[in-house]
Amino acid sequence: MTMSDTTLMPVARHGFGRLRWIGLVLLTLVVGFALLAPVLTFTDPLQQDLMKALAGPDAAAPFGYDHLGRSLMARLAAALRLSLSIAAASVLTAGIVGVGLGVLSAWRGGWIDRTLCLLADSVLALPGLLMVLIVTAIVADRPLAFWIGLTLVLWIEYFRLTRATVARQLAAPGVQASRLLGFGPGYVFRRHLWPDLAPVLLTVAAFGAGTAIMTIAALGFVSVGMRPPAPELGLMMVELLPYYREAPLALFQPVIAIFLTILALNLLAQGGRR
Amino acid sequence: MSLLLSAENVSVHAGSECLVQPASLALHAGRPLTILGETGSGKSLLAQAIIGTLPSGLTAAGRVQVAGQVFDPGRPSTFRRLWGRQIGILPQEPWLSLDPLMPAAAQVSEGHALVRGLPWDQARAAAAGDLAQLGLAQAGHRRPDQLSGGMAQRAAFAAARAGGARIVIADEPTKGLDAGRRNDISALLLAETAAGGGLLTITHDLALARALSGDLVVVLNGRIVERGPAAQVLADPQHDYTRALIAADPAAWPHPRPRQVAGATVLSASGLSVARGGRVLISGMDIDLRPGHIIGISGPSGCGKSTLGDALLGLVPLAGGTVTRAPGCAAVRFQKLYQDPPSAFPGSVTLGRSLADLVARHRLDKGRIGALLDRLRLSPQLLQRRPSEVSGGELQRMALLRVLLLDPVFLFADEPTSRLDLITQAQVTRLMVDVARDTGMGLLIVSHDTDLLTKVCDRVIRLDDPAQTRAA
Repeated sequence: MTMSDTTLMPVARHGFGRLRWIGLVLLTLVVGFALLAPVLTFTDPLQQDLMKALAGPDAAAPFGYDHLGRSLMARLAAALRLSLSIAAASVLTAGIVGVGLGVLSAWRGGWIDRTLCLLADSVLALPGLLMVLIVTAIVADRPLAFWIGLTLVLWIEYFRLTRATVARQLAAPGVQASRLLGFGPGYVFRRHLWPDLAPVLLTVAAFGAGTAIMTIAALGFVSVGMRPPAPELGLMMVELLPYYREAPLALFQPVIAIFLTILALNLLAQGGRR
Repeated sequence: MSLLLSAENVSVHAGSECLVQPASLALHAGRPLTILGETGSGKSLLAQAIIGTLPSGLTAAGRVQVAGQVFDPGRPSTFRRLWGRQIGILPQEPWLSLDPLMPAAAQVSEGHALVRGLPWDQARAAAAGDLAQLGLAQAGHRRPDQLSGGMAQRAAFAAARAGGARIVIADEPTKGLDAGRRNDISALLLAETAAGGGLLTITHDLALARALSGDLVVVLNGRIVERGPAAQVLADPQHDYTRALIAADPAAWPHPRPRQVAGATVLSASGLSVARGGRVLISGMDIDLRPGHIIGISGPSGCGKSTLGDALLGLVPLAGGTVTRAPGCAAVRFQKLYQDPPSAFPGSVTLGRSLADLVARHRLDKGRIGALLDRLRLSPQLLQRRPSEVSGGELQRMALLRVLLLDPVFLFADEPTSRLDLITQAQVTRLMVDVARDTGMGLLIVSHDTDLLTKVCDRVIRLDDPAQTRAA
């Protein structure tokens, strides 16, 4: 029971929490490694040297060699570059499509809203992995197929979230006041809708990137994703799996890389939690 | 006249900051005690300290005596056994505090059975008796959504007392109510004191304080500035603040001089019908608004008065009739003021930024902002702040400023002062009316406060009265 018309409620803390900072630092380290590794050692991730198969680290390959004598560090960095760039690209396009359609849906309502919601629900009824697989069957180029397939999977979350958030804002007097004062839809989006939307979108983007990286690795692991000899995390795991007795550290490397990346993204996704 | 509750030197602190200065109160059986103050004056905190319901983070000190027992406000948990048994609380907007799925009689009998410890059959009989006493004998089996607001309030009142509480604490019982309902509430509360109970009311409503009579305590900035018998304090206030408060009551405003309005019509409606959710609320309304003309629309909540204004602005579709705007006026010269000023501004940017956006959008003269700030007695420093960092009264004047930049010919003010305190309300209304007269802006004020409207408007349309609704 409240007896109060006072404003002594604790104010929710905004901005980055400690966990978010840890996530950001981790992600920066992973991205930094992916980008800088080729600068440090000029090894081609595809160059084989069967004499060095499963050999330990040396100056040319600080992380050791795989079963075909390729530098693990070079392959790991190349695999991370591939996964991270596909993830970033699909999160970006999915965000633009999802937010755009979400705003359209909430704003126009009526049959546009109904059609888009039906479309989103239908796509959601299809497992995400299957959707990406279907696209890989149609589009020959694998990274391009991943990009398109993941965008088709990821836009839905942006769409639903945007639609719900924006609908609340659009019904508030602020938007009506701005329209009466002669401002256009662009201004309403920039001043009223975006400030409310931006913090939640970061969370969705981080989770989406995690989903994208996991999907690429999962498809690689079951050998329907990237094709050998391309360096890819899931593919590396399945290739190194037969040698886990001889070179357990070699198998661990892609596992740890994917673990750290997903952990970083999930920490980054933590909203204003304390 | 027996003493039910006494509080000595009760104070409230948040850390080292003192929110309520040491205050003493005495509540007698059969004599209402009213704490009057504005939002943020500390009146609710004082009451909360006395009954041990302070929010965590606040500490209280002093001494409270109830029914011969002494309590320490510094240890709120010791008050728990008083709740329901000695002290009943009628919460704000009681229809929200009732269980929405339970019939009214069952909610009252729970108090009798679980708090007072009566067997269930006796509890049910007692509840039926309570409800019959309050005129709800036929309504006991209804759920809260099937009760009218006034009936729900009476049911909540019965539930608050069911535990045997002799002392009723009413927290802003008239918040959001129109005048008719306010009288019902004061009659209900007075019946309780007439039967020998204790009543402590916390309110900002001068009319309620007047109706309850008894003792009055006026609180300002956490300090009691004036106290005494209500009739005496209200008739002959000693403290400057009390005087300002009484003068700010619309009932005390001077009557307007009748004026002739001249000039071409800026907005007219003929045969206007307004519907909401498929139900026609208003039909066959004619309005003719000329420059500087002020029309008031009053009526109970839900009668469609706000929808009418929106229909005139073209914000909702018309159910029938026509609205004609003066030819040659840009669409942006027809404007609206909102009930809740913070929600009418973009919340993420400063007020100055919002105004600069508007100036840039319409290529206005930036220099006019300064002149209007002076005119509306606003400090230029407010422009550096966000809407949430500015008081309601200042923000409503800022909204008026924003609208005035566009030289409006018509302004629809939708309950513009209902969220403001009395003194602020008087100030904002005065400014709004003066500006309308000076600039020749047609003004349509929608309010539930009939006193206010009759004191400032050239014509008042009452929507609860079908005969007037059709008047031209």
